[in-house]
Amino acid sequence: MTPADALAAAPLLVLVGGACAIVLLDLSSLPGPRLMAGLGAAVALAAGAAAAVLGTGAPGFGGALLRDGGALAFTLVIAVATAMSLALAGGYLAREAVPGGEFVALVLLSAAGGVLMAVGGDLVVIFLGLELLSLPLYVLTALLPRAARGDEGALKYFLLGAATSAVLLYGIALVYAATGHYELAALRGVPPGGPLILAGLAFIVAGLAFKAALVPFHAWAPDVYESAPTPATAFMAVVAKAGAFGALLRIVASTTGSAIDWQVSLAALAALTLILASFAAVGQRRVKRLLAYSSIAHAGFLTMGSATGIFAAPAVVFYLAIYGALTVGSFGVIALLDNDDPTIGDLAGLWRQRPVLVLALGVFLVGLTGLPPTGGFLAKLYVFEAAIRSQLLWLVVIGVLASVVSAAYYFRVLLACFQPGDASASPHPAPRLGTVVVSVAALAVLAAGVVPGPLLDLAQHATY
Amino acid sequence: MNVSASDLLVVPAVATVASLLPLGRAVRSIGVASGLLVAALSIVLLATPAALAGEQRLVWLAPLGLSYHVGVDGLGGVLLVLSGVLFAVGAAASGDAPHPRGYMALWCALQTAVTGIFIAQDLLLFFVFWEAMLVPLSLLIWLWGGPDRGPATFRFLLYTMTGSAVFLVGIVGLGVAARTFDIVDLASKPISEGAQSLLAALFLAAFVVKLPLFPFHAWLPRAYLAAPIPVAIVLSGIIAKTAVYGIVHLCVGLFPLGILRLAPVLVSLAAVGALYGALLAFRQRDTRRIIAFASLSHLNLIGLGAFSASHLSIEGAAIASVSHGLVVAALFLLAAMLALRTGGFELDRASGLGASAPILAALFTLAVVAAIGVPGTSGFAGEFLILSGSFLAHPAAAIAATATVVVAAAYGLRLLRLAFFGPATTTAFDLRLGERALLVPLLALVLLLGLVPALVTDRISTTDLTPHAQVAR
Repeated sequence: MTPADALAAAPLLVLVGGACAIVLLDLSSLPGPRLMAGLGAAVALAAGAAAAVLGTGAPGFGGALLRDGGALAFTLVIAVATAMSLALAGGYLAREAVPGGEFVALVLLSAAGGVLMAVGGDLVVIFLGLELLSLPLYVLTALLPRAARGDEGALKYFLLGAATSAVLLYGIALVYAATGHYELAALRGVPPGGPLILAGLAFIVAGLAFKAALVPFHAWAPDVYESAPTPATAFMAVVAKAGAFGALLRIVASTTGSAIDWQVSLAALAALTLILASFAAVGQRRVKRLLAYSSIAHAGFLTMGSATGIFAAPAVVFYLAIYGALTVGSFGVIALLDNDDPTIGDLAGLWRQRPVLVLALGVFLVGLTGLPPTGGFLAKLYVFEAAIRSQLLWLVVIGVLASVVSAAYYFRVLLACFQPGDASASPHPAPRLGTVVVSVAALAVLAAGVVPGPLLDLAQHATY
Repeated sequence: MNVSASDLLVVPAVATVASLLPLGRAVRSIGVASGLLVAALSIVLLATPAALAGEQRLVWLAPLGLSYHVGVDGLGGVLLVLSGVLFAVGAAASGDAPHPRGYMALWCALQTAVTGIFIAQDLLLFFVFWEAMLVPLSLLIWLWGGPDRGPATFRFLLYTMTGSAVFLVGIVGLGVAARTFDIVDLASKPISEGAQSLLAALFLAAFVVKLPLFPFHAWLPRAYLAAPIPVAIVLSGIIAKTAVYGIVHLCVGLFPLGILRLAPVLVSLAAVGALYGALLAFRQRDTRRIIAFASLSHLNLIGLGAFSASHLSIEGAAIASVSHGLVVAALFLLAAMLALRTGGFELDRASGLGASAPILAALFTLAVVAAIGVPGTSGFAGEFLILSGSFLAHPAAAIAATATVVVAAAYGLRLLRLAFFGPATTTAFDLRLGERALLVPLLALVLLLGLVPALVTDRISTTDLTPHAQVAR
């Protein structure tokens, strides 16, 4: 291993090493789930810090692991989202009697998979990343001890996921057959129009779309999001999407300049996703399912950004970072309630009991709607601007109308918290660390809406 | 004193935070002070001889071309004064709201957003404030409103957000094509007539809903009725005027040819709306519903003036905006005071109150007289300028709209006759000192503006008459 290899692999090594250490520590049965979750969050932050300190540079392993701006940005987003999810999980794991060591180790491994997908410069590495991301997620979904629902969701996720892996692998094989290369860099010089390569790329994108839960590959998401332990839901809603879009942007980048044009197919996926998810969300009664459809709709916005080409990568990164904070935050608030799978009506009376949580949830939901002064507004604006630059006005119209529809369901959740009632009456105080994390996330989202400079700088450096 | 436009924003923003301090009932004085301070600072800025008083320009979000560019022009300044007065009056009238701290924080946040709309000189900044208004406003209606608050809030939200969504498409499209979002820079760029029509239509989507222009008014009666009285005051008195400002400042200012082309349709709708609102007001048996539909009528009349976009009609729209704001605030306050005495807003609860509550009757009469546009009140000055200013270009619409003056007299006098001057079967105690202190300044301003309309028109004519004036003449 040359020094360049070590530098490229450092964040991954921190995550995987941390996961192994957690598993060993778990054998001693000494630390409780709260401590485990705290340690896991520290490991994720350390991975992010390692990536930030090392910065960008030459690729490792002969171009298999890249260290460009895009890799750095995605690694940071994944690390922060992982740390937030784990910090939120402490109290939850103790309350629901979820085995802490397993949970934390699986989350860290899955995060390593997400990072691998985003930094991979090679189709095989991307596939490995996808598997490393997915296998722990299947287990995490089934980790709630008391719920039969969890098994159902996990099985559904596993079967569909296995099929997806096959599809992705088949696509990779076709691309290899057409070009003789696994390296993405080799795609640049590919002559256009070969049926093999087009079919191959289509299969690859379908596989990634499944992980990102784009319509029509989304059917698993609401069931899985609902049945998984809530902190794991928060994690997968962000990190699985980050991995998928990291890889997607890489593939788009590597074919930029060739005659392969992604715009029509990705724009169509985005349009379908936005329309269907928005309307499906309106009908939901359970908050987790509603947020699941909302995260599908946001994947539509991310796809809109990806469809406009690689110059819009900063818009996608900015959107993903804001979306990550909003999504982990809103699922996090649910994780801090006693009722793990509340209906909207169950939130009644929450304002009287947990005003801080309701304020934070309010910021998240307003941000997800895309209203100022939150960062959610700027994120949408950034994506819309990129889309209009690429002559995708029709898609922007769909996007803004989807935002309007989204206001209907987000505000329904928010307003329910102020209804009189005590359905969520709780004898326990809210976990302190979790409350702090959620509050900090809410403040960060507000700050990103008013002073977006630092985050925007990071996004601007996301070049390929 | 060196006042910048940003100071207008800082005052209510600080008040928002200050409202969260544990001050108990005294918290409403923060809202009053914030409103009055903004009004005073706006007057100072209006007296500054500059096209954009207190101008400031900072780069905010360079990759997106977003700048923080603020400044106060004539119409904006006038409406800022109105906004300050109405927010102060509304805060003073909010004494009995439960949870006063949360209420007042949302109230001041709403004031911040409304103030931002009137000073923004960047399209995206304008839009940021335009959307930021929604959250505090809908929470105020939903959490402190009447029985119908849930559906009313939702209908309001969906209507306005749909309009804003289309507006955003127009803004981003224009900004990307012109490579700037700065309103001052955009005004100097030539835009083809076809593009102007399209952009004007996209921008108007937001404004016709917020105004609301007939037939986009379905949210209005429910929202006005569901909102607590102070919120209804600012909703009708100043938030509807943000739409008037948007039409004049953005649509007429940037797309004069587009507005000229769309004017026949817009002006006809406004005339129909003015008449329709007045007729509906005549049929109501509830004071708040009368005020709501009378407002609809007046706002459409103001829209008529703004869409006609001649020098006179825009001056008229400005006066009528201020006048309607003051009058509707007085009317809502009076309706609430009447309801306090009779136990409800239904008209048949009161009869012949003039004998037992002469001051209430006198002030109510004055407010109604101003609302129906009797000469000597501000209502007359505005309506007269709007109708005479739009007559040349759109005679049919102007004549139709003139009929509203007659219907307005009918609903106004009916209201007064039923409540105050019929047989004295009910009695009520007269206005208390605090109640008079709220009403007298408002009505004094109404009379002052009726006698010296130049207070407003001088500000408008010197500053923001757009290229359109030359086209229309």
